[in-house]
Amino acid sequence: MIPLAGLVIGILAGLYFDVTVPLELQPYLPIAIVAALDAVFGGIRAVMEGIFNDKVFVVSFIANVLIAAFIVFLGDQLGVGSQLSTAVIVVLGIRIFTNVATIRRHIFHA
Amino acid sequence: MSLLNDLFAKPLEPGYEDAAARRRAAGEKPTSERTWRSPALALGLVALGLLLTMAVVEVRNTASVVSSERQGLIEQIHNEDARVSRLQDDVTALESEISELEDSLLQNSATGQQTREEVESLQATTGAVAVTGPGVVVTVDDAEEQNAEDGTDRVLDVDLQQVVNGLWAAGAEAVSINGQRITPLTAIRQAQDIIQINYRPMNAPYEVSALGDSRSLANDFAHSAGGRWLSSIAGKNGIYYKVSSHDSLTLPAGNTPLSYATPGEGAS
Repeated sequence: MIPLAGLVIGILAGLYFDVTVPLELQPYLPIAIVAALDAVFGGIRAVMEGIFNDKVFVVSFIANVLIAAFIVFLGDQLGVGSQLSTAVIVVLGIRIFTNVATIRRHIFHA
Repeated sequence: MSLLNDLFAKPLEPGYEDAAARRRAAGEKPTSERTWRSPALALGLVALGLLLTMAVVEVRNTASVVSSERQGLIEQIHNEDARVSRLQDDVTALESEISELEDSLLQNSATGQQTREEVESLQATTGAVAVTGPGVVVTVDDAEEQNAEDGTDRVLDVDLQQVVNGLWAAGAEAVSINGQRITPLTAIRQAQDIIQINYRPMNAPYEVSALGDSRSLANDFAHSAGGRWLSSIAGKNGIYYKVSSHDSLTLPAGNTPLSYATPGEGAS
């Protein structure tokens, strides 16, 4: 239940403090969220399989977010930003789906 | 394909497996079953929640800014439109006042009467006053299915020019398109796929009304260069057109402001 509480705290903090993203970082926010989602679902799956590791989770979370944002930044500089965003979302989307499917199997045994 | 295969087969970070294998090799027990208490995971979820809320709040804010800007522009357009039509009304009122004053001045003498009749016929020809009479209406519309890349299956400015010229050639005495009177100073031209007549944007279908002998006008028009042009583009590009005769048509007054030309001394 602690992770769920963490999510709620994060959402409430976002609403309460009304943080605004700097204009230059705005294009990278959605991609960063997808990358974070991927890391989080990977972590949850690892917990369910009993192989969770703090270090791996933290590193994968931060690296995912930074690399995803960097790829999109690079794409923007090269004029193919939207295509690279699509590529990032496809790859991370596949991983999220497969991981969530595994989590579902662990929970419902179906 | 191996990249995609990997993606499907091993969606979990390989790091977890490696770390667990190392611990097993070192003789430690792998992390206890289901460690929901990990502070790292909780922190990660806090970050995720924060990111999500920031993104949602941001999107909402920009959406409201954009829509309020657009609302402002729309209001401005409506205001200016209203101002233009108010000024147009003023112009019409002043013009009718002028012609009333002219009439009252000219009515008094025989030469005045004659001048008045002359002025009236000249005004009708130049499109300065609204005219009524029998005539034909030529309706021209874009082709039903538009897939030509160069836009030839839409009505072009040159098509309307040909139609108007054909109608003049067939003996039309006054012409208007979609309520815009064609005067000697009218331009029918296209800007960005929009046909402008008297600098007003027009939309298809175009109704070209012409006053003249309603029995012969339609026939003469069909045999004029404009009529032949129309039937040729109808056959080639699928442009729709229809010619119908009417017993009574009313064409509105046009606007012919003369900026440079003034009646000369020797004008009779």
